[in-house]
Amino acid sequence: MTQAETMPGELPDDAQPILSVRDLQAHFRTDRFGVKRDVKAVDGVSFAVRRGEIYGLAGESSSGKTTLVRTIAGAVKPPLDVVGGRVDFAFLPGYGGLRRAPAAEVARIRWRHLSYIMQGSMNVLNPVRRLRSAFVDFAYPHIGESRKQFEQDVVAHLARLKLDPSVLAAYPHELSGGMRQRATIALATICRPDVILADEPTTALDVVVQKEVLAMISGIRREIGSSVVLVSHDLGVHAQVTDRLGIMYAGRLIEEAATVEIFRNPLHPYTRHLISSLPRIGDDVPRKGLEGAPPNLADPPPGCRFHPRCPLAMEICRHKVPATLETAPGHRIACFAVNRSEAA
Amino acid sequence: MSGYFAYVVRRLAQFVLVVFIGINIAYVITHATPIDPVEQSISVVTSFGNTAPDAIEKMRTSLRELYGLGGSPVEQYLAFWKRILRADFGPSMSAFPTPVSTLIGRALPWTAGLLAVSTIVAWGLGSLLGGLAGYYQESRGLKLIGVIAIGVHPIPYYILALVLLIVFGFLWPVLPITGGAAMNLPQAPTFDFIVSVMQHAVLPALSLILIGVGSWFLGMRALVSHVVTEDYVVYAELAGVRPWRVLSSYVMRNALPPQLTGLAMSLGGIFNGAVITEKVFGYPGVGSLLVDAVYAGDYGLVLGVTTVSILGVSTGVLVIDLLYPLLDPRVKVT
Amino acid sequence: MTGILRDLWRYHAEFRIGAALIAVALLLSVLASFSPYPPQQVYVVPPDVPPSLTYWFGTTSRGQDVFWQLTFAMRNTLLFGCTVALISRLLALTIGLFSGYKGGWIDRSLMAVNDTFIVIPLLPILVLFFFVMRDRMSWLLLALIMASLGWAYDARLIRAVAMSLKAREFTQSSLFSGMSTREILVQEHLPYVMPIVFSTTLNNMVWSIGLEVTLAVLGFTDINTPTIGGMIYWANQHTAMVAGIWWWIAFPTIAVIMTFIGLFLLAVSMNDYIDPRSRLRSFGGAS
Repeated sequence: MTQAETMPGELPDDAQPILSVRDLQAHFRTDRFGVKRDVKAVDGVSFAVRRGEIYGLAGESSSGKTTLVRTIAGAVKPPLDVVGGRVDFAFLPGYGGLRRAPAAEVARIRWRHLSYIMQGSMNVLNPVRRLRSAFVDFAYPHIGESRKQFEQDVVAHLARLKLDPSVLAAYPHELSGGMRQRATIALATICRPDVILADEPTTALDVVVQKEVLAMISGIRREIGSSVVLVSHDLGVHAQVTDRLGIMYAGRLIEEAATVEIFRNPLHPYTRHLISSLPRIGDDVPRKGLEGAPPNLADPPPGCRFHPRCPLAMEICRHKVPATLETAPGHRIACFAVNRSEAA
Repeated sequence: MSGYFAYVVRRLAQFVLVVFIGINIAYVITHATPIDPVEQSISVVTSFGNTAPDAIEKMRTSLRELYGLGGSPVEQYLAFWKRILRADFGPSMSAFPTPVSTLIGRALPWTAGLLAVSTIVAWGLGSLLGGLAGYYQESRGLKLIGVIAIGVHPIPYYILALVLLIVFGFLWPVLPITGGAAMNLPQAPTFDFIVSVMQHAVLPALSLILIGVGSWFLGMRALVSHVVTEDYVVYAELAGVRPWRVLSSYVMRNALPPQLTGLAMSLGGIFNGAVITEKVFGYPGVGSLLVDAVYAGDYGLVLGVTTVSILGVSTGVLVIDLLYPLLDPRVKVT
Repeated sequence: MTGILRDLWRYHAEFRIGAALIAVALLLSVLASFSPYPPQQVYVVPPDVPPSLTYWFGTTSRGQDVFWQLTFAMRNTLLFGCTVALISRLLALTIGLFSGYKGGWIDRSLMAVNDTFIVIPLLPILVLFFFVMRDRMSWLLLALIMASLGWAYDARLIRAVAMSLKAREFTQSSLFSGMSTREILVQEHLPYVMPIVFSTTLNNMVWSIGLEVTLAVLGFTDINTPTIGGMIYWANQHTAMVAGIWWWIAFPTIAVIMTFIGLFLLAVSMNDYIDPRSRLRSFGGAS
């Protein structure tokens, strides 16, 4: 395997990552009626996803989570632009991202190896065609078999996800929101991809359906061994299914650890705030809100982006960007207040 | 299926309403104005030559009877509708004693053929090119077509027809510029006759098509440039669906329903264009008939053509409306 | 408003071209006030003179100077378009806002009538109107009847916006604060639909001027008031094209095409500026 050189050496695990992202920078650049804007939506994010794990990405809205997965998925269209960094997949070695790979290679790996559940899946299905045609368009070219065999496979896959085969003959508007989301997940997993990028798959669903969908995702990981990158603003979702969790703030990954560790021992002041604001049974202490608002990413504060709101802010936080350091095995964090040695 | 049935009933009701209101507008215009249409017609007819006073008197009585101008307003209104429903507009005054309905019946196939062919060609070609232009926004050739479309589509039908007439009638006389077919040929489905009909239709059809292509191009391009940003298109692209499939089944396919609605809504305007184009090229359709009837002061014929064109355009719209669910499955539930 | 116009001018080539074309049309119509000849008088100059330094656009077979005739024609044609647009705007606004706000059966019946007006072929009806009125047909009368037939499409657009406004919270709070329907529509909703009203005004002018030209070249209007269509009508009456007096037809034709393209480009660029989708597309946004 030649990927050994291309993989970051600082990875905490000996398992070969299926996906690794290094120093990724993606900006929204606009120039309309003379107003130039450069929104640094993703600004130097690095992380790796192991085979068969569910990696969670959390953070409030406009923290850059969606832009990050869009960039990984290669959904980069103006005004979004990848400014720097690389994205490496084990199944697409050497190019540093879909954007740089030849079109034929990209077409080969899409859906077969990498699939994507887009945010707002209410609108991701073609409204004027039946669901069957989506399965045919998306998956059939990747599966070298007869149409009849393919149809049987699809029905079997739907049955595995407890979906009735009749959904294939339905138009999207004929399905409920939950059904549509489950059909979308079936569509994204039919080719047994290595990596599934799932962006807010449970948002806008009611709690019962949410639970079903999450169970579906864990079930798929168990059965076909895919790795999942799960984006959600809802920490409750992460607590239920993810193995490891990265916390994003203002376009940067500020803390990453095993999900259990994050909940038990959050280190970054922002993560600590997020965890402490979760409701707990029997606890009636009023929750403290965080002062201020997330920064404007067109003109972010210098240094650590969290410093204007941080209770532990020091002088150095105002002008130096904290590096992401591993404080305990598998627990990475970007904060001067935690990594005292760096600040000194 | 019941969803479609309810839809059909709704469209039929709308069709009846359109015809009803349209014909009522015609009634109001002819009956609520201070001018007596009978006297008006007679003054136009008599201004062309010497007519004996007793002949005028006869004409006046027959016209009054024909248009139900006698009796109370309610009786007049009912008499008017009775004539419309029986498609009986009396004898034409300019081609006496041929009935108006015969004249219209003779002219209608010409207009219907010209309009159907040119509208379908213009809509199809304009939508196809516009769809490509909206999808391949960087293509130079398609950008150029866009600029030409912007320049051509706002030109009034009359002006474009005139320009074509000048170019192909005077500067480079290669095509017949007047009539519907060569005069010396019998109107029978012979090869020569059909060729002649097609030759004569080229210029009128071309002026309708050029303007049509321009506006359908611009409409479709605008629609497609919105559709390409929809989630389902972005998603299909991300899933690695082949580009031509994305373009045809996702992008164009979703832009077509509104484009078809656009066609239904512009049929009236296209018909207006056909009227004037027919007149410019002396094409023997209802447009020429209408204009000549006004010049000849033939009230029955003007009213007849107006009624028939309201009916014809509404029927065209109805047909499109009934086809619409084939393109958009969502109408059945709403 | 001036800020928007300045931005459009600076960054929108279509707007610049459109504005320039309309500026020429406006300049022509303003010049009408300085004409040395009264518009309706004939044989004031030698007939059939080709374009020259004395008669820039030549003269007609009726002994009129094409240039000065064109200034009157332009003024009347633009004025006609504005009049129709203004009156039909009032109708479209009233019906669109009311229908969208009220909803229910009022909306359904108003829109059924509205769709009827969109579908009906107007030219035969206008021709019938002329047939009945004949010599009493005037410029203003035609403008009135066209305005009363040409509001429907724009009313539908305005209704769509009104419906979405109705669902917004501020409408509910105005309602609970005791404002009447008229007050809500005029004070709260009107400002939101103004951008559409502007862009549809331009499209409506293209429509009404186009129909007026068509009717006029057929002689189905008041042919004694000079308009662009009227000029072409008289040129046809004198078989100008066959007689080689091309300038009599060419200059009005160029003028009207110029006006149409100008109005269309202005409408397009304004739509582009107003359309929230195209704005969103180019601003982008992080999420």
